[in-house]
Amino acid sequence: MAQVLAHAPDPSSAKAARGVANPRTWSDLGSNDSLVWGKCQGSARAPYQVTVDLTEPAFRCTCPSRKLPCKHGLALLLMWAANNGEVADIENAEPFAADWAAQRAGRKAARSTDRAPDPEAQAKRLAERESLMSAGIDDFERWLHDIVRQGLASARRQPPSFWDTAGARLVDAQLPGLGGRVRAMGSDIHARTDWAPHLLGELGRWYLAVRAWRRRDELDDAAMGDLRTVLGWSRRRDEIGDRVADRWWVVGLSQEEDDNSLLSQRTWLYGERTGETVMLLDFAAAGQALKVAHVLGSIVDGEVARYPGGEPRRALLTDDEPKITQGAGLPHATDIGTALDRAAHWLAGNPWLRRVPMALKDMTVVPAEPPLVVDRTGAALTLAPETDIWQLLALSGGHPVRLFGEWIDERLHPLSVEIDDRLVAL
Amino acid sequence: MNWDDLLSTALVGTSRRGVDQLTIDGAGDVHADSAEATVLAAAALAAGYRRAGWTPPTWRGTPAPPAEPDDRPECTPAATQLLELLLNRGIRVEGGPELLAVHWLTSARDAGRRPPYRLVVDLLRFGTANTAPRALVRDVIGPRGAWLAQHNPSWRWAAAVPPQDVVERFATGTRVERLTLLADLRATEPDFARTLVEDTWADEQAATRASFLDTLHTGLSMGDEPFLERALDDRAATVRAAAAVLLDRLPESARAKRMAERAKNLVGKELPDEPDEAARRDGITDHREPGYGRSASWLIQILAATPLSTWDTAQLEKAEREVVIGWTKAALRQRNQEWLTALAHHQPSPELIAALAPEAATDVLDHQKKLDARFGGLLAAAPGPWPPGFSVTIVNRLRAHKANNVLQLAAPALAEHLDPTALAAVEAWLLTLDADEKATRRALRGIAHALTIRATIRQEFT
Repeated sequence: MAQVLAHAPDPSSAKAARGVANPRTWSDLGSNDSLVWGKCQGSARAPYQVTVDLTEPAFRCTCPSRKLPCKHGLALLLMWAANNGEVADIENAEPFAADWAAQRAGRKAARSTDRAPDPEAQAKRLAERESLMSAGIDDFERWLHDIVRQGLASARRQPPSFWDTAGARLVDAQLPGLGGRVRAMGSDIHARTDWAPHLLGELGRWYLAVRAWRRRDELDDAAMGDLRTVLGWSRRRDEIGDRVADRWWVVGLSQEEDDNSLLSQRTWLYGERTGETVMLLDFAAAGQALKVAHVLGSIVDGEVARYPGGEPRRALLTDDEPKITQGAGLPHATDIGTALDRAAHWLAGNPWLRRVPMALKDMTVVPAEPPLVVDRTGAALTLAPETDIWQLLALSGGHPVRLFGEWIDERLHPLSVEIDDRLVAL
Repeated sequence: MNWDDLLSTALVGTSRRGVDQLTIDGAGDVHADSAEATVLAAAALAAGYRRAGWTPPTWRGTPAPPAEPDDRPECTPAATQLLELLLNRGIRVEGGPELLAVHWLTSARDAGRRPPYRLVVDLLRFGTANTAPRALVRDVIGPRGAWLAQHNPSWRWAAAVPPQDVVERFATGTRVERLTLLADLRATEPDFARTLVEDTWADEQAATRASFLDTLHTGLSMGDEPFLERALDDRAATVRAAAAVLLDRLPESARAKRMAERAKNLVGKELPDEPDEAARRDGITDHREPGYGRSASWLIQILAATPLSTWDTAQLEKAEREVVIGWTKAALRQRNQEWLTALAHHQPSPELIAALAPEAATDVLDHQKKLDARFGGLLAAAPGPWPPGFSVTIVNRLRAHKANNVLQLAAPALAEHLDPTALAAVEAWLLTLDADEKATRRALRGIAHALTIRATIRQEFT
């Protein structure tokens, strides 16, 4: 049961799933070796068609919920796990379940046949893409020059469309990473009190991307990797770099949804042997299956492939069945000074780095305005405004605690805290 | 050039302020083809330099002392999950999840176990929204909750307040704050709370004095009597009346003895004369009891303030109506279980039933022959938990008599107070129902659901 509920994206889903896991609201329940399926009568007229692929597990449901897995998928898995005969063994899956499984198998097969592309066509595609991007970069540079010529104060008076249009042009030029940062500025410039230094810093980092693109032939793998990240030029799975095996401690989880209802999920891992911190990043569009999150506080013993780039690197778990054990709290936590030294070191390698992971020890939560965490030396980090300060205080009770978070634009976003040798999500 | 100079140049724009070569302090020179490129390149260099070289501010405050340790063991994971569901209204039950949350809290307190710290915030929010179970919530969240509540003004009701702060806050608070403070303090240190009231008594306005007296209902004892006796001579009528109401609840008081003297000569004999000055001082007024004359109303007032130990319950059989009314008021005020029981058997009312202990209340109900709407009202008023024997019997009786209207009237009480062992009887009833008895079916299902949850709570706390 607990294993099933560990797949829930948040506690409320787990609760909701328990409520829905009542065979009376279900029909056409069944399962075979790899699939569980059923129809659940929800608030809509037609019952939702729910299927779970047990091999991953992956979930599909026709309900409008954006959560993945949704309560129906979890509930179905719960009833199946109860193993009390409500979900019968049936050889032939319901058509809706079988179709989905076939589609998935087809996609997998398509992925593997992609492996042997025509090298000539590929080179041509690449050249086309690079020339499109170069044109976009030239256009972007002119736009940056305009802003500096007119002044930042006048940029602030521009309507939101000013930023949206520029962002859209970047997306068209296959530079979605830059496009997203430009669009975000459209709201930041009004929301932030420190908008002027923030804008100047971003302009500098954008310009750095322009200059780096022009000299891309001189960049090493890591720098090219970081540049590709900031431009938003993603890599195919088979292009991902070196692999490393370790016992990876799951130290932080965070999920967010952007304006286009794209879900993203970050999983921060700390390698016991390598001492390296890496991040798993998963995306899902609305209604698509987001990979099931790892359990906070567990240790994943297996191999990851790291994307080229400076530390902390993005990685992909390549082991299909890693060994999972229970960890004991937050490893390798330091004071604030040491964490900032490491951040400086990382920033020297990757000037575009925004999200700096920090494992901090002996942190006292101070409910000041704005709230702070303070280490034994008195060094203080300001907590991000959306932090649930009450939960943090309730968990720590005013005692120094170890906590893990992301440090973004000089604000700490805590993700987990160690209480009695266990990591608790915030 | 430093960051601030660069920023002011960028703010007005290079069209208004010229730039040629730039040197960023500590970082190096910037060369570029145009003024715009120079500023952008300088921004790139300076922003990276600033971010990498950022040093944290030093906090010079003194951290507040941490929460006291809580030695109680944490409750089971299943109990935690259930409480989360109840607090977040994740489940629907007859009578509302609040009732069952209160049941959970009572069980946790009695078992000496605490919820995990991550639910303390939810419990404080629960206590903020539901004032009645606050004392219970405070006990269950323990020192961690009391500590946390100090940091948030909206949770002040749960905060641990050191004694020296109490005097200070009572001296300087608004009227509402002082009343809240007194109400809280009366629950734990009633004598200290009264001395606070006495200290400033002479300087308070009449309305404030009267509302201060009202807070004494909590934790009332003979220790309060001398003060209340003095308040009978207060210059404001509202204060005198409030003092009399409190003294009504203290059958050992000097005023009660004076009332007994007045009453002894009256019962079964005659109606009282016009009250004399001493009787007026003791709070006898010309207030009319509905349906009774002047003299009968005086009698009722005198009896309601007379200690019940003056009488014998055997006298009930032959007592006049106005005498029974006076005794009923006295029994309710003095919380005299012997008299409450006798009166409830003599002439049951929801008010009397509600004041009885669960065993006595259910015993009275057992003796009721007719399962009508009046009975439904009594059943709804009966305090819990109901003994297992009564619980099973009452469900079976309601079923045998097809007392569906009683079931509807008392469904929340049944969900709240039935012993979980009655679940089988409820489910058996459900099975015999026809499909068209929708309302009965719904009520029974709600009760069964609540009993299941209460059985789980019981299991997780034993």
